[in-house]
Amino acid sequence: MRLHRIRLRDFRGVHDREVTLAERGVTVLQGDNEVGKTSTVAALDLLFDAADSSRRAEIRAAQPAGVDAGPEVEAEVSTGPYRFVYRKRWLRRPRTELHVLAPVPEQLTGADAHARVSAILDETMDRVLWRGLRVEQHTAVGQADLGGQDALTRALDRAATGGSAARPDPSADDGLVERAVEELRRYRTPSGRATGELRAADVRLAAAEAEYDRCRAALEAVERDVAARDRLDGDAASVRARRRAHAAEVAELEDRWAGLQSRLREVETARGRAVLARERAETARERREARDALVAAVEADADLAARAAEALAAHEGEHTAARDERDARRCADAAAREASATARRRADDTARAVSAARDRAELADLAERLRRVEEAEAGRTAAERLLAATSVDADDLADLEDLARDLLRAEAARDAAAARVELVAPAALTVEVDGETVVLAPGETRVLPVAGSRSLSVPGVLDVRVRPGLDEAGRDDAVRERARELAQRCDELGVADLDAARAARRRADDAARRADEHRAALARELAGHGDAAALRAAHDAVRERLGDTGPADLFSVAEPVASPVDVAPLRRAADGAREAADDAARRADEAAAACRAAEDAVRDADTRAAVLAERAADARHAHVRRAEELRAAREAEPDADLAAAEDERRARARDAEREHEAMAAALADDDPDTVEARVVNARAVDERLAAEAARLEREHAETTGRLQAAGLEGWHDQHAAAATELEAAVRDHDAVARRAAAAQRLHDTLARHRERVRRSYVAPFRAQVERLARIVFGASLSLEIDEDLRITHRTLDGTTVAFSALSSGAQEQLGLCARLACAALVDPADGVPVVIDDALGHTDPERLSRLGAVFTAATAADGAAQVIVLTCTPERYHGIGAATVVALAPSRRPGERERDREAPPPVDDTPLRAPGTVVDLPRAPRAG
Amino acid sequence: MRFVHTADWQLGMTRRVLGARPPKEAAGGLTGEAQARFAQARLDAVSALGRLADERGAAFVLVCGDVFESNLVGPDVVARACEALAAFRTPVLLLPGNHDPADAACVLRRPDFARRCPPHVTVLDTPGVHEVAPGVEVVAAPWRSKHPLTDLVGEQLTALEPAPPGTLRVLAGHGELDVLDPDDDEPARIRRDGVLAALADGRVHYVALGDRHSTWVDAADDRIRHAGTPEVTDFDEVDPGNVLVVDLDVHAARVTTEPVGRWRFVRHDARLDTDDDLEALDAWLAAQPDKERAAVRLALVGTLSLRQRGRLDDLLAAHEHAFAAVEVLAQHSDLATVPDDADLDDLDLHGFAADAATELFAAARGAPGETPDEARDALRLLHRLVGTPR
Repeated sequence: MRLHRIRLRDFRGVHDREVTLAERGVTVLQGDNEVGKTSTVAALDLLFDAADSSRRAEIRAAQPAGVDAGPEVEAEVSTGPYRFVYRKRWLRRPRTELHVLAPVPEQLTGADAHARVSAILDETMDRVLWRGLRVEQHTAVGQADLGGQDALTRALDRAATGGSAARPDPSADDGLVERAVEELRRYRTPSGRATGELRAADVRLAAAEAEYDRCRAALEAVERDVAARDRLDGDAASVRARRRAHAAEVAELEDRWAGLQSRLREVETARGRAVLARERAETARERREARDALVAAVEADADLAARAAEALAAHEGEHTAARDERDARRCADAAAREASATARRRADDTARAVSAARDRAELADLAERLRRVEEAEAGRTAAERLLAATSVDADDLADLEDLARDLLRAEAARDAAAARVELVAPAALTVEVDGETVVLAPGETRVLPVAGSRSLSVPGVLDVRVRPGLDEAGRDDAVRERARELAQRCDELGVADLDAARAARRRADDAARRADEHRAALARELAGHGDAAALRAAHDAVRERLGDTGPADLFSVAEPVASPVDVAPLRRAADGAREAADDAARRADEAAAACRAAEDAVRDADTRAAVLAERAADARHAHVRRAEELRAAREAEPDADLAAAEDERRARARDAEREHEAMAAALADDDPDTVEARVVNARAVDERLAAEAARLEREHAETTGRLQAAGLEGWHDQHAAAATELEAAVRDHDAVARRAAAAQRLHDTLARHRERVRRSYVAPFRAQVERLARIVFGASLSLEIDEDLRITHRTLDGTTVAFSALSSGAQEQLGLCARLACAALVDPADGVPVVIDDALGHTDPERLSRLGAVFTAATAADGAAQVIVLTCTPERYHGIGAATVVALAPSRRPGERERDREAPPPVDDTPLRAPGTVVDLPRAPRAG
Repeated sequence: MRFVHTADWQLGMTRRVLGARPPKEAAGGLTGEAQARFAQARLDAVSALGRLADERGAAFVLVCGDVFESNLVGPDVVARACEALAAFRTPVLLLPGNHDPADAACVLRRPDFARRCPPHVTVLDTPGVHEVAPGVEVVAAPWRSKHPLTDLVGEQLTALEPAPPGTLRVLAGHGELDVLDPDDDEPARIRRDGVLAALADGRVHYVALGDRHSTWVDAADDRIRHAGTPEVTDFDEVDPGNVLVVDLDVHAARVTTEPVGRWRFVRHDARLDTDDDLEALDAWLAAQPDKERAAVRLALVGTLSLRQRGRLDDLLAAHEHAFAAVEVLAQHSDLATVPDDADLDDLDLHGFAADAATELFAAARGAPGETPDEARDALRLLHRLVGTPR
């Protein structure tokens, strides 16, 4: 299809405009926004699709506001062998006109015209491809859905088969696969599950089978019951016959059993008698034996009493001997006790003598010690008195020593600093120095320090007075000061000088030492007593113990009373006496023990005598009582009577037992056990038969009841209906399954072949797309294209990227290349215009210029499709060499200009001069 | 003495060929509507023979077994049968047959039957001689179970003394004569020799039989007869739809056959190879009378092209609605659909669709390892889809 011109009147913002398009190559419709570029394409769609009576939303939207005119579109189109002018007006005075110009002129209006155009378009062009090759405004230039395009498919088919295949009726396979899929979907879901008719048939079949099985089971149950009834009837008759036959046998056995039972009772009676007789015989024997026992007991009792009396008599001797022994022991005990007391007194006396001697010795010791204590205390007191009188203590003495040393130092310092007078006597000479006489040997030199004034005189010859200078006088003063201090300190201490102080100190130390010695002696003497008073108390205590009440005179006390030589024999005597006392005590204890043992023996003998006496009395008493009993018994029944009765009863018991045995043996010969077993069994059989008959009767009744109920159920009718339904369901299912299999087969076969063909279409399509895309992307480009003719991957310089991962620009460019490739591929007779509404917004200037070459290359071929580009940015398409540019200006109604707020663009001057007429005529092509 | 001999009413019978379901559920097949009309037709035949007996002044109507299709028919079937019998003025004797034996479940003893049974109806459920009118005796040989182990008729005949003078005896039995089915081991087959002997020595004067749905007379003695069913029940019956009116004396029986049934079960064998054959079948079907009371069973043999097969399907579908049933018997039909080149050209396909069609054609012609039926079905579907407008 080719568009020659399009005219819009009162269509949206367009008042009246006609656009003429280049028949070959690219036509660029350029103009500002809202100038009506997109309206031009939309108008074409409406012209072809919408009847003039339509009031679709798009048509009502196309009505210009405030104008009483319907939108009107006219187009001149050539397609296939046809060329026609087609005009439509909607809403206001709707009208459709068709002028077919070639091959045969025709004039049609109204619905006929619409139908004719639809028929022509269906016949000659691929309307789906027409939409598929369009790029709408403001939508990304993605991939066109080219897989189902028949025109493209034919072109690719031609390319794949070498262009030889001519297709007289190209529409025959249109949608065939889709219809096959539709058919298949009647039976199976996409996942292969049964659905629709097939599922209904499955369900019906399953239900029919279930119902059939149910009815058949019911019928079979009835059949079983019928058979059971027959069997029950037979069984009941046979049971009845058996019961009758059995009754006679039971009667005969019962008679025999009754006879045997009466005899059994007689035997039982005889046995009772025998048992009774035997019991009586036993009683007689027991009585006789009791008498014998009584006689024996009396004799035993007499013997026992005699022996008890004997024992009592024998014990009397023992008893007496024990008493004698006890008396002897008592005397011995008293004597021993007396001896022991005597010895104890003697021992005590000797012990007291020893004690007195020891006390006297101790008293002497204590007295001596007291005396020494007195002495030590006296010495100590004297020493302490002396010590207290001494005024110089160790510190004072040290002070004095220091003062004296200071004096010496002062003197030394003075002397050292003082002028010296050296005296040298050529001959012995006596001089007085400071009043002292000094004898100088010949040649002797004597040096005299001049400290203070010194006087030197040779008596009678010369008096020399040496006086120190001022300094030396000061030093001399210091010496004097020290001396004065020393003297003063000595005065304070009450001593004459240092030596006196030292002597006093020595005396004091001596006294202190003596006091210490006395204190030590005192402590030694007082050791063990604390102090002197305690010692004295101890001394007094000892003296009092001795009974000595003399004056507490130290010296009298110290008088010795006994010597230690006296004590030793005394002690030895005391020891001997004590041992003798201990022996005597031991002997007394032994005698007491012997006495106690004898007492015990006597008591035992007393007790035993009492026991023996009691025992003898009991034995005597028992014997008397038993003898009395025997006498009474014999009086009632003599021994001989008892023996006779026993013999007689024993004989009678033996007779009764023999009789019973005879009868029992006679009965056993008739085998009553067997008869009884048979009777019991016969009765059981009878019961069993009765129970069997009852059971059969019950089952019969049950079966009959079930059969009656089943009769009213109409099982045959239900079964017949179920069987019919099952057969129908099977038939239906087979038919549907067969149809489903056929649909599957057809679909699979068609789909398989279409896949194969599509795969063969990929290669020529890819070659064409790659040819165009290489202009943009360079020679290294290669593309992967799937069977739906979609670009899946782009490989550039060895790098492969999925289409969806490409940039918007690259996607746009490839999408455009694919569309242009279609335009280039499709047969001129099938071709449709490629409409691109303001695309390539994502493409950079470099690529834009290359895309220009793509456009040219795609439309260069003879008969290549029309390409219509709508744009408000014409510079995007400047690179297209073979483009016909048509500039669109606003097409306004008269009077509408006042409402324009903006100055019209310069290109608008032509339309403004002649509004309302056909204005936008195509310019001459810019480039050839 | 005149009586009506009939048998095998088979009340409660349904025929699968007549369909099972209401039309909307039957998925284009036969419907249960015919089934109901068929059931009514059986009752109508009974009423018709009752009227016939009344008109002809018959002494009684003797039904030789299989009054009901089963002992387990529903109370509705029983009730309608009793209603039909109640309209009779002639006494009716009902013999239990193999479908309704006098066993524990016997429908003729069921409370619902006994309650509704008209007084002039007698159930011959006890074997032996029954005096039905002065000087007329019926010897009954009823079935007492579904699988008797002896010849029930022979058993009765053996026990009989010759009829007293002046007494007519009719034997009522149910079952096939051994001559009709000689190879059968069935122990209950009726020995023809015994029957002939009994007729010859005057123990009985007429042997009325049931069980065979076609009317039949014994070649050796025309007093041995099957009355057949009064209304057809199956395609293989030779002469159904009759009752016998018997005028009997000691020496002979004069029997007239009276049609009462109105339905037909027709089997038709046809060879289909050409369009002419198809036209002939079409014409034959069109020529059938009383289509609403006719069930047709077709056994088709031949080879058809895809187009012809489509034509056959259309033809059958068109006739199906007029008949009570049209059935193509699968197991007796050998009808091959083999697509020819004309079919392929008819399709007028191109491109991959043409390739696919060619492949299916090859498969449909029985290429090795193929499933020709499925391929043919697929081709028929393709035919239909191509014919569907876009």
